Amino acid sequence: MPSGVSPEQAATTLVYRSCLLLDEKKFNEFLDLCTDEFHYTITAYSPEVRAEMTWMDEDKASMKRTLDVLPRHNSDHSPLSRHATVYTVDYDDSKKEASVVSALQVFKTSLDGGVTQLFAVAKLYDIISVNGAGARFVRRNVRLETRMLGIGSHIPF
Amino acid sequence: MSRNAVQFQQKPDFPASHFVDTRIYTDPQIFREEQEKIFKKVWMVACHESELANPYDYRTYQHPGGANLFLVRGDDMKIRCFYNFCTHRGNTLLRDPSGNAKHITCIFHMWSFDCRGSLSDVTREKEGYQSRIDKESLGLREVRAQVDFSGVVWVNLDDGCTDLESYIGEALDYLKEELSAEPLEVFHYHRAIVETNYKLWHDTNSEIYHDYIHYHNRKTGMMQKGYFDRKFHCFPNGHGRLDSMEIRYDAYEGTDGQRRLDWPRAPKACHKFIDLFPGVTYNLRSPTFRLDSMIPLGPAKVMIEYRGLAPKRDSAAERRQRVKDYIGIWGPFGRNLHEDLLAVRGQAQALAGVQSYILHAREEGLNSHDEIGMRHFYAEWTRRMGRSSSDPYAESVGTRDKVDRSAMAA
Repeated sequence: MPSGVSPEQAATTLVYRSCLLLDEKKFNEFLDLCTDEFHYTITAYSPEVRAEMTWMDEDKASMKRTLDVLPRHNSDHSPLSRHATVYTVDYDDSKKEASVVSALQVFKTSLDGGVTQLFAVAKLYDIISVNGAGARFVRRNVRLETRMLGIGSHIPF
Repeated sequence: MSRNAVQFQQKPDFPASHFVDTRIYTDPQIFREEQEKIFKKVWMVACHESELANPYDYRTYQHPGGANLFLVRGDDMKIRCFYNFCTHRGNTLLRDPSGNAKHITCIFHMWSFDCRGSLSDVTREKEGYQSRIDKESLGLREVRAQVDFSGVVWVNLDDGCTDLESYIGEALDYLKEELSAEPLEVFHYHRAIVETNYKLWHDTNSEIYHDYIHYHNRKTGMMQKGYFDRKFHCFPNGHGRLDSMEIRYDAYEGTDGQRRLDWPRAPKACHKFIDLFPGVTYNLRSPTFRLDSMIPLGPAKVMIEYRGLAPKRDSAAERRQRVKDYIGIWGPFGRNLHEDLLAVRGQAQALAGVQSYILHAREEGLNSHDEIGMRHFYAEWTRRMGRSSSDPYAESVGTRDKVDRSAMAA
C-alpha cells in the first residue's frame, strides 16, 4: 500500500478497480485482486417463497475454472457497466480488514444499436484485507434487489 | 440455394405434423384463443405446498388465463384458491406475493373474508345496507385447486374440468419413486420474463437435439454411451418424457467434476425430465430437481417460474451443496439456462414479422434427437385449438374440415 494512503482509501479504490476490471471482462486481473481464500456469492431474498436465495457461490479456484471456459459457452455478449458508490468503510486495525458497503447498479448495453438499460440493482458487501501488501478482497457478497434478470448472465456482477 | 419470397412461404415437403406455421408463435388472435381454449381449461402449476406451510399462509398467482388468484392454507390445512378480487368494488385483496393473513381484508373499505372464501365482515353493514345484503352470496370466487405429484399445487379455472389424475395420467409415473420418497420443499425460486412465445420454451424442454447449444452437453453428454439410445415416450393430453441416462459430471470442464449428493431413490447422476402440456416440466438432474411453469403474457412474452426442490430433511451442508449443484447449471447465472434462454429469445426475434414454416421433422426411431416430443405437443395443441399448427388459418383446401372433425372426435 503506498505511503500516505489510508486503509479506507485503499479499500475504496479496490472496489472501484474491481468494477473496471469486471466491466472489461479482465477476470484474471480481477481475481488477482483477491486473496486465496476469496469467496464470492450472489444472494437475494425472495418475497415469493419467503426465503434466502443463493444464485452464485464460488471460491477463487472455482470462479477461475468457470470463467476460463466462458468463451466456449454461448453467452449474451452485451457489455455490462457497473456503477458503484462506496457508502461506508469500517476498518478494523486489529484484523487489518475493512468492511465495505457499496451501492451497485449494473447496466446492460445491447451490441446491436447500443441501447442501455438498467439490468440490476444491488449492494456490495465486501470484506477487504488491507495491510502492507496492499488491499485484497477476502469476501464479496452481491446482494441483489433485482430478481428478474431476463435471460440471465454468465458474468458475475 | 437461397429462396425468394414465394419459395420461402411454401410448405416443407414433409407431412403436416412435421412442421408448424410460424404465425402460431406471433399472432395475437391465436394467443387470445390459447388463453380461452387451453389455459382456462387445463391444470396449471400455481406453487408448491411448502410455500404455504402454515395455516393462513397465502401466495398470489397470476394465472395465464388472465385472472389474478391467490392460494391460502385454511385452518383445516386445506389449500384453497380464489380470485384475488374483493366482491365489493373489485379491488385486489392481497397485494404482497406471500404472507399470512387470518383475515383477508381489503384495504379499500375493509371488507373481510376468511380462509374459506366467506365474506366475514362488512364495515358499517347495518348503516349502509340495513338488511338488504346476504353475506353468503358475496363470497369469493373459488377456483379448483389440488395438491398432488410431490406437493405441487395445481389450479384449474374450469369448474367442469377433468380431474387432475385423469389429466396427468401415467405421464409422471417415471418419477414416482423419486418424488414420493420424501417430503420436498422449495429452496430456489426465480422468474424470468423472456421475449418469446411460451411454446418455444416448451419446445426446448421437449427435445434434446439442442444439446449442441450447451458446451457442457455437447462435450460430455453426447459423447456418452447410450446417449442416442434414449427413447421418447408420449402420453395422452400432450405429455411426454425421455428415458434417463447417467450424466458424467467428471467430464464437465470448468467445474470440479463432482456430484457429492444423490437424490433419494434416484439412479446415480440420472437425468429424467417429463413435459406436461401446455407448459410444465419436471426435471430431475440428480441431485437437483427443477420445476418449470409458465405464465404466458402475450404472443411474444412469457414469464417462466423456476423452482428448485429438495428433500426437507437436508442437513445444512447437504442443502448448501444441493444449491451449488443447482445454480451452477440452472440458476440465473447458471451455464445451461442462459444458453437455453438465448436460443428461445433469438427464435422470437427471428420469427417476428416472418411468415414461413419451421421443422419438427427429425425421425430417429423415437431416440434422443427425434423431434417426436414437439410433434406430440402440437397434435394436442391442434386438437384443443381447432386449428392445425401447420395450417392455422385453413389456407389449404379441406384443412378446416379435417381439424374440426379431429377436434370433435377428441
